[in-house]
Amino acid sequence: MARMSEAPTPDTRPDPGTVERFRALMLPHLDAAYGFARWLTRDPVTAQDLAQEAMLRALRYFHAFRGEEARPWLLRIVRNTWVDQRAKRTADQPLEMAENQPADGLDPEQSAVAGDRRRQVAAALAALPTDMRQILVLREIQDLPYKQIATVLDLPIGTVMSRLARARERMAVELRGRLGRREHGLPDL
Amino acid sequence: MDCPTCEEMVDAYLDGELTATESADFERALDVCPECRKRLETSKAIGGLMRDLPVEPAPDLLRARIERELRGIAGRTPVARPSNAGGGERMRWMAMAASLIVAVSIGWAGGTLTGRAGMGSGSDRDEMVATYMRVASSEHAVDVASTDRHTVKPWFAGRIDYSPPVQDLTSAGFPLEGGRLDVVDGRKISVLVYRHGQHRVALSLWPATESGDTAPKVTSYNGFSLAQWRHGGFKMHAVSDIAANEMADFAAALDRATGEDR
Repeated sequence: MARMSEAPTPDTRPDPGTVERFRALMLPHLDAAYGFARWLTRDPVTAQDLAQEAMLRALRYFHAFRGEEARPWLLRIVRNTWVDQRAKRTADQPLEMAENQPADGLDPEQSAVAGDRRRQVAAALAALPTDMRQILVLREIQDLPYKQIATVLDLPIGTVMSRLARARERMAVELRGRLGRREHGLPDL
Repeated sequence: MDCPTCEEMVDAYLDGELTATESADFERALDVCPECRKRLETSKAIGGLMRDLPVEPAPDLLRARIERELRGIAGRTPVARPSNAGGGERMRWMAMAASLIVAVSIGWAGGTLTGRAGMGSGSDRDEMVATYMRVASSEHAVDVASTDRHTVKPWFAGRIDYSPPVQDLTSAGFPLEGGRLDVVDGRKISVLVYRHGQHRVALSLWPATESGDTAPKVTSYNGFSLAQWRHGGFKMHAVSDIAANEMADFAAALDRATGEDR
């Protein structure tokens, strides 16, 4: 089912009616698209560029939208756009390496995160490998059910489940390394 | 239920992905499996910490950029063309310059705006567009909805520390829709909202610090038309997605009506 919703040819000249329908159905999810982009890119400026490009790509493929859930449909395009952007940027670098580059964490100046605990949680999340970060954000921040996560990430449900379990394990390790017992509230190992 | 099964179900249980029967089975298994209980508590705590992270909504400028693209694609709005435009090449260049300004000024969005006196500095114009976007994209474009200026004007009393002149410009093609408050530079200001066909014009006005009237300066910025001027002791900022020549008409009509009033 690889990129099923994007397999059709792009519509380079959507008519005004299509744009209106797109505006009504997809623009309400711009906050979600930006929020997801924000965690994918870990940078507010790049996130805006990504969200904008993804929205325009979504419009070009909007004729393939069949009235399914709008938010996962859009988030999937955000993710695919990001994968493409990154592939372009790191063309001379093996993807695996780029994937596992250590994260800088969120810049405390730029992030709206207030308070040390929240900043540490954000930094822990930002430091996770891409696959884990994506799935945790979709589940815990975007609050998507497994089926919709499977749509966004193009994965079977079983993989969603096992990857989410691994991501939580890893997040627990990160949090324990950054926060005291009282702050993270996680049970001892 | 043996532990590997139980372990596999922890996340699905927490995420509400199990059927009622499966959940009941899992809860029974949990009683005899302290390891899985610990897993469950860990996952729960992580969810709580992540959900506590502040959510950043899409910035106004991003919304404005996308709106501009959508308008361009739908071709609903005539492109704002300054009177001295020298053909397609020039327009393309201007469009490019506009997007560059936006890209550069994003870093400033939300920051403190200083040097407000400078007419049309990048951040100044971004702030104007942001004001417009709050009118154009909010559920209630106006706080007081009325085409009657004698209803709109008194509404501001007690809400801001000055009394803005309110004109109905229906005869000039810009009927009054109402008024609202906005906050610019930490100060509450009055915004009047006018209609022009399917479009809206947001007019922010506050007492000028300099004296004397100036002619409206109309500019195109990022797909929007902006007008900035001083009239009758007030500083005026108007923003809309109408064409630049229509914006000039709007400013002229407003000055005329204010003049007749005095």
